[in-house]
Amino acid sequence: MAALGVEVTVPKDDGETNTAVNVPESVLRRDQARLEEAERRRNVKESQTVKEEKSDFFTSTFNAEKTAVEEMLSSSNFSDRDKAAKTLEEITVRIQQLQKFLNDSMLFLTQYEIRQAQASMQKLQSSLDEKRDLVLPKKKFAFRSRNAGATKQPEPSKQTTDKSASDVGGTVVVDAAISVYQCGFSNAENQVLIMQAEEIQQKDVLLSHLTNCKVKLYGCPSTLHIKNIRSCEILCGPVSSSVFVDQCTDSTLVFPCQQLRTHNTTATQIYVHVTSRAIIEDCREVRFAPFTWTYPGIHDHFKVAGLDPDRNNWTDVDDFNWLAAGTPSPNWTVIPETERISSWDFVGPS
Amino acid sequence: MGLLTILKKMKHKEREMRLLMLGLDNAGKTTILKKFNGQDVSTISPTLGFNIETLEHRGFKLNIWDVGGQKSLRSYWRNYFESTDGLVWVVDSADRLRLEDCRKELSTLLLEERLAGATLLVFANKQDLPGSLSKDAIREVLALDDIKTHHWCIVGCSAVTGENLLTGVDWLLDDIAARIFTAD
Ligand SMILES: Nc1nc2c(ncn2[C@@H]2O[C@H](COP(=O)(O)OP(=O)(O)OP(=O)(O)O)[C@@H](O)[C@H]2O)c(=O)[nH]1
Ligand SMILES: [Mg+2]
Repeated sequence: MAALGVEVTVPKDDGETNTAVNVPESVLRRDQARLEEAERRRNVKESQTVKEEKSDFFTSTFNAEKTAVEEMLSSSNFSDRDKAAKTLEEITVRIQQLQKFLNDSMLFLTQYEIRQAQASMQKLQSSLDEKRDLVLPKKKFAFRSRNAGATKQPEPSKQTTDKSASDVGGTVVVDAAISVYQCGFSNAENQVLIMQAEEIQQKDVLLSHLTNCKVKLYGCPSTLHIKNIRSCEILCGPVSSSVFVDQCTDSTLVFPCQQLRTHNTTATQIYVHVTSRAIIEDCREVRFAPFTWTYPGIHDHFKVAGLDPDRNNWTDVDDFNWLAAGTPSPNWTVIPETERISSWDFVGPS
Repeated sequence: MGLLTILKKMKHKEREMRLLMLGLDNAGKTTILKKFNGQDVSTISPTLGFNIETLEHRGFKLNIWDVGGQKSLRSYWRNYFESTDGLVWVVDSADRLRLEDCRKELSTLLLEERLAGATLLVFANKQDLPGSLSKDAIREVLALDDIKTHHWCIVGCSAVTGENLLTGVDWLLDDIAARIFTAD
C-alpha cells in the first residue's frame, strides 16, 4: 500500500482545517511536537495572568476535593458490607472525577504542579485500593490452565504471598495468576537460571523480581517481559516481537528483538539487536551496544523469530522524556568499544 | 442552521467516520492498524506521536487515528477526542501486570464528555500468545459490564495473525452507522 497518513488534521480554535499532503511519518511527528510546543508557548504568552488565576483556582479546588476524599477514606464507617461497598463506589467516582479535572487542567499547569497532583492522585488511588482490599477482599477468578506445563519457578511457595514488590498495576488477582501460568522465572536470588529452546519457543516469557541472577534463555520467545530486576545478567535468543523492560537496575541485558521498550531503568547496559527501534522512558544511565552473544542454532532462531540479522538499529534510541530535536538525550549513551563485553561464558557449556 | 450542523451533515453524506485507537503502550494499536490496512507490520516502531490512516471499508470512509500510549504521551490523548464516532481500546491480553493500569485508563476515558457519544470496541489483542487471558477474563478485569454510558463490545483478536480484526471493525461500523446515518 502506498498511501500512508495522507491526511493531517490540525485543530484550530475556529474549527478544523484539513490539508491533504504527502509527508513522511518522521516529519509528521516532529511537526506535531512543534505544534504542541508552539501552542503551549502561545497559551503561555497570551494568558499569563489568566493562567495564574486558573492555576490558583485549580490548586484550591483540587486540594479541597483531595482532602474531602481522604476524610471519607479515613473516617467513614466500613463495618457494614453493603454500606462499605457503596461508600467505596462513591469514593471511586470522586477520584475519577478529580483525575478528569486534573487532565482538563493540564494545559495551564506547570510540570511541577502536574507532577505534584499526579502523585496525590496515585496516593489517593492506593489508599482506596488498600481500603477495598481490607473491607471487600476480591474474589479470585479462574484462569485457563493451557500454559501450566511451561511454568518453571525456583521458589513456587513464595509466589502468592510475595506482594512486597511495589508493582504499580499488580493487584492480588493478577499477581496470583502469574505464579501458576506464566512461563519464566520469578523471585530468585543468587542463582543461575537456564531455559532451553523448546521450553520458551513462541511463548510469552516473564522474568521478574530477580536479584543477582544469571539468566540464559537459549531460544526464541514470542515476547519477553523483564520486571523488577537488580544486578542481573540476562541473555536471550531472538524475540519475535517486543521486549518490555521495567524497573531494572545495575544489570546487563542481551538479546535480539523487533522492538525494545525500556522504562524506569537505571545504570543498565543493553547489548541489543533491534530491527525496528529501541525506546526509553523515565530512564537514567542506560548504555547501549550491539548484540554479540551467540550459541549453536541462533541463526535458525533469527529465522523462526522473523528478525533480519543484517538489520540492527541499536543506535536509534528514542527517549520519550527528551523530545528536543537536535540535542541528544542525557539519559542514554553508547558503550565505548573498548569497554564492551565480548565473552558471555558465565557458566560452562550448557 | 449553524455551521457545525452543516459540517456534520456533510460528513454524514459522505458516510465518513472518525475512529480513535487508544490503549497502553505495547498493546498492538499500530500493528492492528497496519495489518487491517494490509501493510507490513515487522517494521513498526513504538509510536512517538500519532499515525493517521484514511481507508475505505464497506463504502465507509474511515479516518483512523492511532495515538502513542506511552505514559508520557497519555496526557495528549485528549487532543484527539473531538468528533470521535468510535473508540477502539486495545489491550495486550498477555500483560497481566498492567491490566489494572489498563482498567484505570479506560475508566478515566469513559468519563470524558467529548467521548460521550462514541461507540466502544475493546480488542483483547495478542490472543496468539499462550499466556494470554481470554476475552472473558479481560472483560471481567476491565469491569466492562459496569459500563452503562456507551455501546460496547469486546473481541478477542491477534494483530499478528489478523484473526478477528474484521469481526471487530464490522461490529463497530454497524453500531455507529445505526446511530448516526439512519436519521436522514
Ligand atoms: N504475539 C503478538 N504480538 C503482537 C500482536 N500485536 C502486536 N504485537 C507486538 O507487540 C509489539 C507492540 O506493538 P505496537 O503495534 O507497536 O503497539 P502500540 O500499541 O502501537 O504501542 P505504542 O505505539 O507504544 O502505543 C510489537 O512488537 C508487535 O509486533 C499480537 O496480536 N500478537
Ligand atoms: Mg503505536
